[in-house]
Amino acid sequence: MNEPMIQCRGVSKTYFKGRTEVTPLEALDLDVPRGEFLALMGPSGSGKTTLLNLLSGIDSPTTGSLVVAGEEIAKLPRRQLTAWRARNVGYIFQLYHLVPVLTAFENVELPLLLSGLSKKERHERVRTALELVDLGDRIHHAPTELSGGQEQRVAIARAIVADPPLLVADEPTGDLDRGAATRILELLRSLTEDHGKTIVMVTHDAKAAAAADRTLHLEKGQLLEDACVPS
Amino acid sequence: MLPFSYAARNLFRSKPRLLQTIGGSALVVLLVMAAVAINQGMKRVLSASGSPHNVILLGAGSEESVQRSEVPERAAGIAAASIPGISENLGVRAVSGEIFYMSYLGLPDGGRAEATFRGVSPAALHVHSEVRVARGEFPRPGQVMVGRLAWRTLGIDEDALQVGSEVSIHGQSMVVSGFFAAPGTVYESEIWTTVGDLRVLAQRETLSCVVIRLDDPADFSEADLFAKQRLDLELTALRETDYYGKLSSFFSPLRAMVWVTAGLIAAGALFGGFNTLYAAFASRVREMGTLQAIGFGRGTLIWSLVQESTLACLGGALVASLLAVWFFDGATVPFSIGAFAIEIGPGAAIAGIGTGLLLGLAGALPPAVRCLKPPLPVALRM
Repeated sequence: MNEPMIQCRGVSKTYFKGRTEVTPLEALDLDVPRGEFLALMGPSGSGKTTLLNLLSGIDSPTTGSLVVAGEEIAKLPRRQLTAWRARNVGYIFQLYHLVPVLTAFENVELPLLLSGLSKKERHERVRTALELVDLGDRIHHAPTELSGGQEQRVAIARAIVADPPLLVADEPTGDLDRGAATRILELLRSLTEDHGKTIVMVTHDAKAAAAADRTLHLEKGQLLEDACVPS
Repeated sequence: MLPFSYAARNLFRSKPRLLQTIGGSALVVLLVMAAVAINQGMKRVLSASGSPHNVILLGAGSEESVQRSEVPERAAGIAAASIPGISENLGVRAVSGEIFYMSYLGLPDGGRAEATFRGVSPAALHVHSEVRVARGEFPRPGQVMVGRLAWRTLGIDEDALQVGSEVSIHGQSMVVSGFFAAPGTVYESEIWTTVGDLRVLAQRETLSCVVIRLDDPADFSEADLFAKQRLDLELTALRETDYYGKLSSFFSPLRAMVWVTAGLIAAGALFGGFNTLYAAFASRVREMGTLQAIGFGRGTLIWSLVQESTLACLGGALVASLLAVWFFDGATVPFSIGAFAIEIGPGAAIAGIGTGLLLGLAGALPPAVRCLKPPLPVALRM
């Protein structure tokens, strides 16, 4: 387990907004060890979400090397990148992004539909994931029948059900009240401590960042500060 | 692969949109089924009207049109005596000299309607073997026998004419002696009277044609030879099947027009359907982004969207099929030389279901591709 989960070298991202060239990230270096819970903070437009998208294979860097879960993903073609995401990354979004026409159970089952597991195995894993997030009694509820905190826990169950080594969370507590946010952060904490997941979380909230092992601050596309937070 | 239930449940996200999609596709499918049924019905009635055993002797200068044709009255007797292979019934040769005439029929209520008259003798029943007297009796002088579907071409109620009703031709009062059936042929739209009456009423001294029935269709060459040898009669021989085949070709532009009209309306409905699907899918760009982020490929997602649209369009096809059977099946459509019954058979059903499938597949593709066009980071922010 010496190899870091994430190894970023000279990663830049440039895109055009109309005719204006925008570089949200420039020559970024970053190592994230396996099993670390990393928080990314910074003001709006600092490149946090762009970095999260790159680390999770949602977007590709313009230049630089990006090795995640042992694979160079910077130049992977789209189809391979999609398959890589299915194997290696679980996503947790601020607004949960649950599919409204599916029940909690069916939402959590989605990543497993790509796994080749039998129906029985899939259902066992879905129940385990939902019990892990303490929603074993809500499996047949539609997203509209759940509270925000419950929806986010379903989203977390969906992110972990295929057992990916990396979890990425974009403002996972941004839409929740303090009590629900605390429970979500405790859940994330337990995923890294008890299940060895590597977590990269973008947040504006210093209290949320305090749950992480380490907090990095991004500003104008640069990592300016690397603050160690006792876990 | 996404579960089929995902596609099925997505249909019910917006009921107005679902109804719009089903309604639009039902309209297109209904039009296609109607066009197929009308075309098949018209073709069927024209092909069924011609018997391979029958030969029509027309006037040589008539350009094979029975309306323009003039045949000397003696030609019927000469043909009966000269052409070998003519069918016989109780010693009577199956040769029917006929007058074909289009004019107005005075109706019992005082109104009048354009009608197709055929002046015949009882031999016509031997020649046109599909004709059966259904009610009443064969007409005698001063009487007419009405085809079972004549009311459609006359534009009157089905029961407006009854046995014993009084009608008129050129002011001459006639009595309805009966009704005849000739299923699937144009004869059912005609009004038959005696050849003698029609000769007087139409002020003709000639027949329109002589129709003969042969035991063996291969004996057509004998009839053809007769027409070519008897130059004094100025005849041309034509197989009855060829005659109605040519009539069918004559009506092919009409059938094409049916298709063009159906196509234009269908195109309008199709673009309406595109708009509905564009709107439906546009509201799900973020959901598609989420599914891509989880690891579903674009092909899988497009297939799911296509399934969804195909389900809705097949729903429309089902509605259209029920409406078609309910409203169209058995309905009769008049056209210039007769009327035909619409039959919603396997052909129309296959065309309808095929159209529903095509609409679902082709109609969903552009909106689905557009829905998946935004880059993933952009889609997830929408």
